[in-house]
Amino acid sequence: MMTDELQNEDTITKIVVISSDSILPADAAMRVYESETSITIKETCFGTMVTGPQDVVERVVEELRSLDRNHIFVKERGFSPGDERRCRASRGGGPRPGFHFLREEVNMLPMIGSALDAYDAHVPLEKKGGRTEKLGISTLMNIIESEL
Amino acid sequence: MSKVFIYPTNSLILSDLVERFGHNPLAIMSKIREKITTIGVDSPPLNITPKEPEMGLKYAAVEVPAGVRGRMALVGPLIDDAEAAIIVRDATIAFGCMGCARTNELTKFLVRKKDIPILEVEYPDSDEDGQEFVYRIADFLKSLPTGADTQ
Amino acid sequence: MTQDDQVIIALVSCGSEYAGIQPELEAAASRLNAKLVYPEMDVSILDTIGMEFGLEVASPDLKLMMARAKAVVDGVARVDGVFVGTCFRCAEAAIVRNEVRRYIFQNSGLPVISYSFTERTTAATLLTRLEALTTIAKRKHLLGRERQTGLTAGVDSGSTTTKAVVMRDNEIIGEGWVPTIKVIDSADKALQQALDQAGVQQDELQAIGTTGYGRFLIGEHYNAQLEQEEITVNSKGAVFLADCQKGHATVIDIGGMDNKAISVEDGIPGMFTMGGICAGASGRFLEMTSKRLGVEITELGDLAVKGMQDKVDMNSYCIVFGIQSLVNSLAKGSSPEDVAAAACHSVVEQIFEQQLQEIEVKEPLILVGGSSLIAGVPKAMGDMLNIDVLVPPHSQMIGAVGAALLVSGYVEE
Repeated sequence: MMTDELQNEDTITKIVVISSDSILPADAAMRVYESETSITIKETCFGTMVTGPQDVVERVVEELRSLDRNHIFVKERGFSPGDERRCRASRGGGPRPGFHFLREEVNMLPMIGSALDAYDAHVPLEKKGGRTEKLGISTLMNIIESEL
Repeated sequence: MSKVFIYPTNSLILSDLVERFGHNPLAIMSKIREKITTIGVDSPPLNITPKEPEMGLKYAAVEVPAGVRGRMALVGPLIDDAEAAIIVRDATIAFGCMGCARTNELTKFLVRKKDIPILEVEYPDSDEDGQEFVYRIADFLKSLPTGADTQ
Repeated sequence: MTQDDQVIIALVSCGSEYAGIQPELEAAASRLNAKLVYPEMDVSILDTIGMEFGLEVASPDLKLMMARAKAVVDGVARVDGVFVGTCFRCAEAAIVRNEVRRYIFQNSGLPVISYSFTERTTAATLLTRLEALTTIAKRKHLLGRERQTGLTAGVDSGSTTTKAVVMRDNEIIGEGWVPTIKVIDSADKALQQALDQAGVQQDELQAIGTTGYGRFLIGEHYNAQLEQEEITVNSKGAVFLADCQKGHATVIDIGGMDNKAISVEDGIPGMFTMGGICAGASGRFLEMTSKRLGVEITELGDLAVKGMQDKVDMNSYCIVFGIQSLVNSLAKGSSPEDVAAAACHSVVEQIFEQQLQEIEVKEPLILVGGSSLIAGVPKAMGDMLNIDVLVPPHSQMIGAVGAALLVSGYVEE
C-alpha cells in the first residue's frame, strides 16, 4: 500500500520504559547518544522516547533492550514527542489520553519482568488456589437459617 | 512472524510481549501514526475527518454513534489484518482510542468472530497472577507460526 | 482583538475527536476568538469520580468528562464557559452529558452549552451556540441594556422569514415581514417595509443590528454595528416585549427550521438548547399542514383551537411521517379542525420531549417566533405544561426587536 511505503521511510517514535534495578534511564539515554546521531531522545516520567527513521529506531531499541532484556519494555507511540496536536502545553492542559493507561501498566512492569525471568529460567508455573466462587444458594440459605 | 492483534489496543505490555516473542503487534499506535502523517489532511489532533465515521460503517450500522464508527475506522482494519489475537479482559481504565465502552465491546466481538487463534487472559493483580499471565501469553505466542510462512 | 478578549472554553466531551468534528469545533471557536481547552485535572480522581457523581458508567472517556467537570467547578481549570458534547445516539453519554451540564451550571454559574453531534455536524451549526456562549461569558454588559434609545433598526434574517423593525426611544415605530428568498433582497424588502411604516429614511438610522441565519451576510450589506446570534438576541427581545426584564423567565422560540428553549435570568440566557432533530418540530410543519388543509397559515390557529387533538393520532417526530399521518387522518374522515389541533399539539410535544427536558422551566413562559401567532400552539403548550403561556405583542418580531434594542447601545458610544 502506498501509505505503508511512505510510513516505512517515515519517522517513528518508540517509548522505552525502563523497569530495571541495574540500568537507569539516564544510562540508557547516554547509550543512545553515544551510538546514534540521526535520532532524538526525550526522557519522560515513564521512560525514554526515541524518535527517528524506523530502521535506526528499531536498532537502538534492540540495543537498549539488551541492557536488561526482561526489564525494559517498548511500545510504539503514534505522535512524536511535543507534537503540537497532542502536546499538553498547546492543548491547554490535561494529560494526553494514553497517559493514564501507560501509568497503570508501568506499575505492573516489575511483576511482568520477574515473570519473564522465571519463564526464561524454566521455573514451573506455580499452581495457585482456585478463584473464590460466589456462595451457592443452598449454602447461603443454610447460613441465613442458622442465624435465625 | 504472525500479525497479532492486541486488546487493549494501546497496551505497552502486550505490544512488548508480542514483539519480544518474535511477532508483529497490531496496535492502535501505528494506526494513529498513519493518520497523523497522512499528507494533505489537516484535521488535528488525530486527523480524523467525517470520512472515518463513514469508513466505520463497514463495522457498525449508521445508528451506532459517530465516535464509535470513527474509532472503528482505526481499529477495524487491524482486526481485518489479524492472524492471531490476545485479549486481556478487565483492563484498567484507558482513554482516547480505548475510551468508549461500546467500541471496546464491538472490538472484542469482531475479534472473537474471526477464525484465528485467540488467547483471553485477565490483567494480573498479584505476582502469582503475573507469572501465569506471562506464561500463558508466552506459550501462546510460541505456538504461533513464525518465519517466512506468513510473508 | 487582544489576548484579554479571548474566551477560554472548557471542552468537556466524549467522541468529538473520533467523530471527525474536532476541526469544526476549533474552526467555530477560532472565528469567535475563543480557545478550547481540556481542563487540567488530578489523574487520581478518575478512580473515584464515578461514585462521586453516583454514575457508574462503562466508558472511561465519560468518567473523564465528569472529572473535567469537577475540575471546572473546583476552579482547578480557569475557564469562561463550557462546551459539553457527546455522540448523538449514545445513551450512556446522554445521561452523563445532562448531569455534567446541570452540575457545572448549578455549581459554577458558568455558561454551559451541550450538544450531541454526528459526523455531519459543521462549524456553522456550532457557531451560533458557541457565539451565544462567548457573548454570555465575556460580553454580558451588552446584554444588560433594558431600554432602546435613539433611532435604530433590527433585521432578523431567519431560515423561513425575514423580519425588520425600526425603533425610536423604546417604541416600535415600523415593522416589516417577508418570506426569506434571496437573503439580501428579502432583508432589503423587510427593512423598507419597516422604514416606510415608520416614515424614516434608511440613512437616518443611527445603528443597525442583525441576527438570524443570514446575520453575517446582511450585516456586511448594511455595515451593521452588531451582528449577533439569535439565542441572546431573542431572549433579550422576548423579555423586552413581555416586560419581564427582571427575574426568571423561560423563552421558547419556535422558528421556521429549529427551536430554542432558553432559561433566562434578568434578561441574560443561562441554560439553553437549540435544535430539533427534524423540521417536524418546527414552524415548517405547521406551514405544510396549512397547505394540505388548504388554509392560510394565519388561519390555522383559529382552526386548531376549535378542534380536538385527541381525535387524531399524529406524531411529527419526522416531518415526512407527520404529513403522512395528517393525510391518513384526513382520508379517514377527520375534520380539518381536529387535524389542525393535532398538528399544533404534535409540534409542542416534540419541543417538550426534545428541549424542555434540558432546561428548567420557570414561569413566566414566553412563547415567541412566528408559530406563537398560531393560536393552537400556545394553547397546546399551556395544556401540556399546565401553565399560562405568555405571547407578547409583536412576538414574531423578537429577533428584530432584540437586535434594535441591543444595537442602540452603540448609538451612545
